[in-house]
Amino acid sequence: MKKLVFLLAITSVFLVLTACSEEKADLVVTSFTDELQGPIDKFEELHDVKVDLQIIPTENYTTTLRPALESGKGAPDVFTGEIVYLKDWLEQDYWENLSADPYNVDSWEDDYMEYVWDLGKDPEDNVRAVSWQTTPGGIYYRRSIAKEVLGTDDPAEVGEMFSTMEGLMEVGEKMKEKNYRLFPDEGSIQPYTNGQDPQPWVNEANELVMTEARLSYFDYAKELRDKQYTALAPAWSPAWYESFVGPISYNVGWDELDDSAEAEDKTEVFAVSLPTWALNSVLKVEAQETAGDWAVTNGPTPYFQGGTWIGMYKDSENKDLAWEFIQMLVHDEEFLTEWVTETTGDVLSYIPVTSKISEGYEEEYLGGQNHYEFFLEEANKIDASTITKYDQQIGDLFGTEVGNYVEGTVTKEEALEEFYNQVKNAFPDITIPE
Amino acid sequence: MEKTNRRAYLFIAPFVIVFLVFNIYPILLTFYYSLTNYSGMGGIANAEFVGFGNYIRLVTDSYFFEAFGNTLKIWGFNFVVQMMIALGLALLFSDIRLKLKGVGLFRALFYLPNIITIASVALLFNILLDWNHGALNQMLLSLGIIDSPINWLNSPVYAQSAVALIGAWMWFGNSFIILLAGISGISRDYYEAAYIDGASWWQSFTNITLPQLKPILLYVLITSIIGGLQLFDLPMLLTDTRGAPQGSLNTMVLYLYNQAFKYNNFGYGATLAYGLFIITVIFSAVTFRTMYRKEVK
Repeated sequence: MKKLVFLLAITSVFLVLTACSEEKADLVVTSFTDELQGPIDKFEELHDVKVDLQIIPTENYTTTLRPALESGKGAPDVFTGEIVYLKDWLEQDYWENLSADPYNVDSWEDDYMEYVWDLGKDPEDNVRAVSWQTTPGGIYYRRSIAKEVLGTDDPAEVGEMFSTMEGLMEVGEKMKEKNYRLFPDEGSIQPYTNGQDPQPWVNEANELVMTEARLSYFDYAKELRDKQYTALAPAWSPAWYESFVGPISYNVGWDELDDSAEAEDKTEVFAVSLPTWALNSVLKVEAQETAGDWAVTNGPTPYFQGGTWIGMYKDSENKDLAWEFIQMLVHDEEFLTEWVTETTGDVLSYIPVTSKISEGYEEEYLGGQNHYEFFLEEANKIDASTITKYDQQIGDLFGTEVGNYVEGTVTKEEALEEFYNQVKNAFPDITIPE
Repeated sequence: MEKTNRRAYLFIAPFVIVFLVFNIYPILLTFYYSLTNYSGMGGIANAEFVGFGNYIRLVTDSYFFEAFGNTLKIWGFNFVVQMMIALGLALLFSDIRLKLKGVGLFRALFYLPNIITIASVALLFNILLDWNHGALNQMLLSLGIIDSPINWLNSPVYAQSAVALIGAWMWFGNSFIILLAGISGISRDYYEAAYIDGASWWQSFTNITLPQLKPILLYVLITSIIGGLQLFDLPMLLTDTRGAPQGSLNTMVLYLYNQAFKYNNFGYGATLAYGLFIITVIFSAVTFRTMYRKEVK
């Protein structure tokens, strides 16, 4: 027995030692999802190299990776960045300047969706990060409900009805009459309020910009809630997911608001505002039961949500290989065509491939609609110049206060004042309006 | 003699070195950060030195005091409930007249909530407490206890109570084990003597159990204060990660985290860490003094 234990101990020590002397990777790529695994497999095969993909979950991504980028110790060769902190990182010297020799990516510019390309530039207008995807948003809706209530399920006709805020509210009223709800929650209209008058959240003088269009979010959100056009299912909550497949419980205690309601305790949601990637990573995953019954169309204004950019670390020792990998990922027609059509279904920012794919495309999940064509049109309308590094945090703070106002816990003035205080507290350098 | 002494230093060296490198150095560095407006990016060398500016901001920061108040409220409610349950159960299971069976099994069962990861707990209660679709509201409605659903996580009082009660549910098993061990350590002789003298259950509880249990209670209280002041994960995960509703779940550590890592105010985050440290020291010291002074009298 003792001998056996001894033997086991020796073997395990041996195993640990061999594990340590594992072969070193030729290239290290860091990202927050596994979506690059496919391209990496392909790249390894093509170049006969070993690429190590390190995945750090989104919640810890910046806090884990940033110290490595700051100190250079343990920094990867290639890493991705999300729109949320992209601008922050572009201000730092993390990514290699791709506008310079030997990369000279500026000559690619015309082949890319303009806003995607512009967002990868640092304050000196050098491109440091590029992206393979474009992520405009739209309104996904249920065809069967559209036919029943609006008399048509044609994306162009529904899009016409959705093209103004008033039109959106009219559809909301029609939906409610048949016990449907326009949106799962009030957040679905936020992108369209600012879109009426696109301004950056913070201008060049470092002042917070409050516009009438932004303020209108208070009123539209309140209207949606008070007129019961939403199903009280906050984005990403279990109820929200449930609303894509069928009726969800609603109105359990709301009778005092609406005397005509005959204690309806179930309702079905008609539409939701979501970007390109939601088709594959949200709807197709969570709502297979309603496959084919969906379509996508425009809201009152174009918008985009999310997006991943990629670049190489400025002090990487494997820049040649890193550059090969980035080129394949964003600029290789053959690879991109195969990758997108066979796996991800992403809408690419690289126009030569996207326009080729979009020709005559029919998406079964969307009842045969060519969503590539739609999203490309939307992406072309997006302007990157109003995007600032503060957008995510300030937008979240604003959304929270609008939410409090909609709930009726604070007045509009109180909500606005609290929003200003919160911004001042989070970003002391920003001047808030008087 | 001298030789052996020197050799002893060698033995404590690993601890001292690790302590210096991984505890003292970061603590001092954090203090330096707190004197700058470092954003966490672009190197500390390029950060501006602001002296005690961050500390001046700290003592006038209403959000920090709000966070301090929230933390105390949540911890206090949690501690009272948790101790009532834990002490009650510990008395029940240690009672010589009742002789309850299955202590080992119950000990394990009570401890169970403590080993579930906080993320799962938060998700679970998020679903249970959901306003319009949650199980709790559906149950209360169908039993006719309430007429309209209560938006638990959107009301400051309910949200804070929810965090306190979830905390109590998670930690009462831990306190129960410690208290039960403490009670078992009290000599039976006291109780027997008191019984013979005709003492009631309440008299033996207040005159024997509680005084004898004092060191254990002190231990539970201090560890609970230190843990409670660092309350972070549950408030963060239960709502919008910034302390909604209306800042009521904004605890001190959550505030620190958001300042440092969400808003990139590393310097001010470091200052908040020192503020938190000073508060923790004061609380521990006060508790310790008051609990022990009575004993001396």
